[in-house]
Amino acid sequence: MVSKDCVAMILAGGQGSRLGALTKNVAKPAVPFGGKYRIIDFPLSNCVHSGIDTVGVLTQYQPLELNRYIGNGNPWDLDRSHGGVYVLPPYQSAKTEEWYKGTANAIYQNLSFLEGFNPENVLILSGDHIYKMHYGEMLKAHKESGAAATIAVMPVPWEEASRFGIMNVDDNGVITEFEEKPANPKSNLASMGIYIFRYDMLKKYLEDDERNPESANDFGKNIIPTMLADGEKMVTYRFEGYWKDVGTIHSLWEANMDLIDDPPKFDLGDRRWSIYSRNMALAPHYVGEHAKITKSTVTEGCYIDGEINHSVIFGGVELGEGSVITDSVVMPGAKIGRNVIIERTVIGSEAVIGDGAKIGVDKSDDNKYASKLCTNDLVLIEGGANVSVGENIYKGSMVEA
Amino acid sequence: MRRETMGIILTNNDRIPPITDIRANSALPVAGRYRIIDFVLSNMANAGITNIGVATESNYSSLMDHIRSGSPWDLDRKNWGLNILPPSLEKMTYGAIKGNIDMLAGIQDFIQRSPQTYVILSLGNNIYNIDFDDVIEKHIESQADVTTIYTDMTGADERELSRFTMLELNDDKRVVDIEVQPYYPKTSTAGMDVYVMEKALLESIIDECSARGDSDFVKDALVKKIDGLHIYGYEFKGYTEKLDSLKAYYRANMDFLKKEVRDELFNPARPIYTKTKDQSPTKYGAEADVKNSFVSDGCVIEGTVINSVLSRGVKVMKGAVVKNSIIMQDSVIEENVELSHVVFDKEVCVTKGRKLIGQESYPLCIAKGTQI
Repeated sequence: MVSKDCVAMILAGGQGSRLGALTKNVAKPAVPFGGKYRIIDFPLSNCVHSGIDTVGVLTQYQPLELNRYIGNGNPWDLDRSHGGVYVLPPYQSAKTEEWYKGTANAIYQNLSFLEGFNPENVLILSGDHIYKMHYGEMLKAHKESGAAATIAVMPVPWEEASRFGIMNVDDNGVITEFEEKPANPKSNLASMGIYIFRYDMLKKYLEDDERNPESANDFGKNIIPTMLADGEKMVTYRFEGYWKDVGTIHSLWEANMDLIDDPPKFDLGDRRWSIYSRNMALAPHYVGEHAKITKSTVTEGCYIDGEINHSVIFGGVELGEGSVITDSVVMPGAKIGRNVIIERTVIGSEAVIGDGAKIGVDKSDDNKYASKLCTNDLVLIEGGANVSVGENIYKGSMVEA
Repeated sequence: MRRETMGIILTNNDRIPPITDIRANSALPVAGRYRIIDFVLSNMANAGITNIGVATESNYSSLMDHIRSGSPWDLDRKNWGLNILPPSLEKMTYGAIKGNIDMLAGIQDFIQRSPQTYVILSLGNNIYNIDFDDVIEKHIESQADVTTIYTDMTGADERELSRFTMLELNDDKRVVDIEVQPYYPKTSTAGMDVYVMEKALLESIIDECSARGDSDFVKDALVKKIDGLHIYGYEFKGYTEKLDSLKAYYRANMDFLKKEVRDELFNPARPIYTKTKDQSPTKYGAEADVKNSFVSDGCVIEGTVINSVLSRGVKVMKGAVVKNSIIMQDSVIEENVELSHVVFDKEVCVTKGRKLIGQESYPLCIAKGTQI
């Protein structure tokens, strides 16, 4: 059997309930991001650029769209004869039938998939982070250290450290203690949810964990603390660069805005590390006589005849004459009429906005669409929703389809 | 039925210097992110044709790099799929390709091996979006030997018409006369250089013509056999342009600024596919001013762009003004440059403050990689 040096497993089963209507019908990793991508494009592209050609994508919640999007993996160069990308949903077997109970259980249920590639190491990733990272460098450090597991960490501001899983390390980067959301953090190195395990260790600890009925079957809560308690050598790998968890409407919006700042906080234009995505086969975008586009990104298939300022516009979007969009994200195929005003809004795929509508401009205490998920005065229009001609949608609204 | 049809594309070498110096005409970039051949290839793929041969004459490396495995057209198949067929030196009559019969004779093995009954033979370099399924259906219904697609150009200038293979049709749409690029055209029905026939007929034509030293499929086969063969016309009523000169090339690109042309050619029911480059969306800077333009991905625009077509990865820096121009991939237009009526091949760079002005009837055309 040809064995693989490293196989990646992407945890893509989460619902992402804090994204509200954006994840009503799709899993979080399938949510559009950055003009022409989906969140899952980032870990997938990182894998390919890092020389990892075998990737399992563990799905559970609303997998259809994600399955269809990943397809045979061709857009990421992952249509391989030996290896490639596999979508791994939970399944029935003779003895058991169960959903993925936790992150560790999801990998445990797919140990037989991993066995098939006889890997030396397994890279565990989550499907909801935006970043560019060379996993190959991390793998090299992991092998050199001889550790049972390597955990990617990044320094976070001290005042925010209590929101993260914090790693306390010695001078050599060896982990001495792991604290989940500590009230008084001793370190500001936050776990990024990116782990490399030696496969033999991973298998042993997953099997042990499965036998423990008390366990929540979670990497952060169970596997890593147990390994530390057993005295296994675990080291950190420091990552410096852009990394963002896009788990909320505000953080997703903010991460999109990070692309269009000048200079951008996160640059997708580097062709040595292109983010791959499934192509929609659309024509170049057309910019009309009445258009004015500044500090924004626009992509294929759009028809723009209005004004766009500091916004991210996805493929196939139509914007009518006299409309003005500011500080917003407009997802694929949305149709926006004439004389519409949109501010600080995330518009879902294929939404239709009638002429003269006003979104995210005014504030009202009597707002039938008010949602506590839409923080920071943001507005979310669900994919496929209709906003009627002349309708006024107040700040902090979530309009469902 | 459509699985019973194969496609043959004879790539064209009409000269549009300097942009065709480095590539076959069919590989010319057009409409921003496309190549000319994308249109006919997508038309065939959209009709469910899964065995397509692309015969090349010379300068075909750019074409091969573009088409590769054929996966954008879903033509990377286990059985058949897309075949790029370089010229066969042995089959050339006088050591060089004299005409399309030589090209066809060179790929005779491929034609013979193909199990399909019908063949769509496309010469030329037209852009159009057609339902080939309907063409084949009409071909079979009419019991024609050969069906050729034409467009009615009533009202066009005589000089315009002389670029085409002109057909004379009777009331039953049977072709009764053919004139290839006549100086004084008798009719205004212009052939689009697409022929549908049974594969066996094509094979016998190739065989007969090469045995006699004939070199042209239209002049030597169809014209001479016009009484014996039942050649019928199929009228295509949509938009089409033949890209055989700089003037036509410029005009066709500018046509993409018209909504009705875009809506027709990029009909979502019959998409035009092309090789993807995975470039990030186009970025507009704080001072960008873009009007009536067709813009591909990966561009960075900080200046002014009006009435223009930009390919992927073009940079227009602050203070630069681009008007009525076609700018191909990765060209860089530096600060305060002024351009009007220019056609830039790939990777042209115009340094700060320069001015280049062409005319609509004579656009200024700059070769790949030129530094100005």
